[in-house]
Amino acid sequence: MTDDLCRLTVKLTSFSRFGLPYVRISVSDTGVGGKLEDYQYLKYRNNPILANHWDGMISLATTSISDSEIHNLNLNLKVSNSAGRLTKLPSTAKNGAKFSGTEVSISISKSLDDLLAEITCFLQKKVVMELLVGGDDPLVSQIESRILAIEGSSVYSPVESIECLKVGLKDYVCKHQTCFSVGENLKVGTGVANSSGSSQGNSQVVEAVVIISEMSELVPSSCIGEQDMKTEVKQWAAESSLPDRNLARKAVKYALDDIKENNQGVLLSTRALKMCDYAPDLAKTLACLILSSNDLNFQEECCALLGVQSQEVNTDNFGNCIREKIISVIGLNDHNSQKRKEAQTFLFEDDCFQKEDFMDEEYQEGEETYNSLDV
Amino acid sequence: MEGKRSNTQPLTLIRKIKGFTRSIVEDLARGRAPLIYIDRFRNYCADTSGNCSCSSGLSTGKEAISLKREFHARRLDVLLRVLLIVQQLLQENRHGSKRDIYYMHPTVFKEQSVVDRAINDICILLQCSRHNLNVVSVGNGLVMGWLRYVESGRKIDCISNPNTAHPIPVHVEEVDDIISVAQYVLVVEKESVFQRLANDQFCKRNRCIVITGRGYPDVPTRRFLRLLIDKLHLPVYCLVDCDPYGFDILTTYKFGSLQMAYDATFLRVSEIQWLGVFVQDCDNYSIPQQCLLPLTVEDKRKVEAMLPRCYLQSEVPKWRFELELLLHKGVKFEIEALSVHSLTFLSHEYLPSKIHNGGLWIKLDTIQAVIKGLKRKQRPSIIELEYSTENLKK
Repeated sequence: MTDDLCRLTVKLTSFSRFGLPYVRISVSDTGVGGKLEDYQYLKYRNNPILANHWDGMISLATTSISDSEIHNLNLNLKVSNSAGRLTKLPSTAKNGAKFSGTEVSISISKSLDDLLAEITCFLQKKVVMELLVGGDDPLVSQIESRILAIEGSSVYSPVESIECLKVGLKDYVCKHQTCFSVGENLKVGTGVANSSGSSQGNSQVVEAVVIISEMSELVPSSCIGEQDMKTEVKQWAAESSLPDRNLARKAVKYALDDIKENNQGVLLSTRALKMCDYAPDLAKTLACLILSSNDLNFQEECCALLGVQSQEVNTDNFGNCIREKIISVIGLNDHNSQKRKEAQTFLFEDDCFQKEDFMDEEYQEGEETYNSLDV
Repeated sequence: MEGKRSNTQPLTLIRKIKGFTRSIVEDLARGRAPLIYIDRFRNYCADTSGNCSCSSGLSTGKEAISLKREFHARRLDVLLRVLLIVQQLLQENRHGSKRDIYYMHPTVFKEQSVVDRAINDICILLQCSRHNLNVVSVGNGLVMGWLRYVESGRKIDCISNPNTAHPIPVHVEEVDDIISVAQYVLVVEKESVFQRLANDQFCKRNRCIVITGRGYPDVPTRRFLRLLIDKLHLPVYCLVDCDPYGFDILTTYKFGSLQMAYDATFLRVSEIQWLGVFVQDCDNYSIPQQCLLPLTVEDKRKVEAMLPRCYLQSEVPKWRFELELLLHKGVKFEIEALSVHSLTFLSHEYLPSKIHNGGLWIKLDTIQAVIKGLKRKQRPSIIELEYSTENLKK
């Protein structure tokens, strides 16, 4: 399991009970899930300072990858009889989702501000220390800086959290690519989807990082390992509750959009790709139309529009410039048409193609619908 | 009068091409997908209510070409390639045929019709006729008779030998100084009939101009005929086979073709009168049964497809009646079937009977029709005359 990424989340939620400030501390990981016995025999040293702030109750939620449900239980450490400590609560169904992890929560009567400083300090020490012990990986320094960045931040920030996730995933992919340098060929996109939550305020946040590794055509097929060709979906339940399926889709969609926005001509629909095939010819003809004109002012005007120095112009470089513009426009169109679809219908619906305004007699149905991104 | 478009000078068209190119470049530079609107034209529809605007020559809608569909990208690719060739032709003041253009990128264009469509699109975009683009078709038509004209400074004297065929000029705009002593223009569908008439010295016996487009008439033939009618103000008759193709060719002369509907106003010869051959001619001229051929399934399909054309109902209901009769009888025959009596029957008997009687009757008929028309606003038609002579015979 050493190769699998594990995500550790510490969540602090403040609330008040009997007019006193309380903080619920939840520590969750995306590890393999725990065994009940591990908790049953936990040793508890009676600490009078702690006893004033904590009732000794630990809430546990744990599940392994093979489990079909999340086991919920309460552990009262103040009960000396180990058999009587454990109270099983109703399980939560996973609805076929595959993930594992454990969440341990306690409630402390303390103000959030006091606790936050202590915990941040603790985490910095702990995590950085672990990483340093862990190895000689150059990425350590990056992660360290991320963690340092959390310092002073009093609220949970998905943006920062997702940056950590991104670094971690990139690291994971780099480790698993076998035979060539991939650093520059990785296209990374991130997406965060929030559910506004119900009236009880149990809102969810799903973060997605999508990494696409581009293979160079020059790499001999013998060199490409099975790992390189694989599409992997890694999932962590950041909280013990099940991630909403639509929310997860949304987050992945945003991550894909992020890739599209930052990488011209990537992740285009089949239709857009077909049109890109026309870009070189269209560009060349347009370049010829301009450069073969006997009106030099017109040529200069077009050069200025395209941001090309008219002195250095020839059909090739002018054509290339126009081609890039065409491909960019096709990509933008494609992206926008996806967005319009989204506005009209549900995400990823197979039948959600959009009718154009007019002259649509040769529309090829279903060409650009997503089929395979069902995470 | 022959319709004249304004602003179709080469310099104007070159300026329009630059404007078109600039607009695409501007769109691309601003990260916008180019969107090209092309007016749509049709010279007929299936609306029999008479409320359509097909005969107005106005556009009936717009087509949008964008970069959102593959077939649009392909159409734009072809359009720009042809536009580039047109720009070169205009800048260098040279002419090229549609076929020349096709062979400049045969693997991209794949077939001639693709080039033809692009040329039509460009004409619509630049609001001009095809010849304004310096794109010409290879001349297909023939002319003979009592006619003399100057073509690009060269005198063409058909009168000196009125039964000799001359090719119809390709650059009709360069035809000048038309002189004629003809009394009418006869348009015949086929070259074989044209040659029959030449062989029979038809123009020696009759003061006329004979023209053939050799099947479906090309643009120069129609433009030349249009020019003759505009300059000489002569009656014009048309002789076609009694079959769906003959009828369609007749309508192409009179109403223009659907493909070039955008230019129909400048190409159609609405004065043309249908001389024959009619379904009843097989009885009137005693054409034996063995000369008649049954209509094929395709023939019937073509007739049925033509019958709903709005202009037949609104402008020539009697032509439409003839077409229905053709379908009803289920037989067709060629003009040459008249040769069953003798080789010269067409030129010595049939045509003179039609045109002489016709000419006479047309004059009377025209007067009557003008009077009627004033009352009913209806146009005279040669068919009315045919029925009149029929009634007289009976």
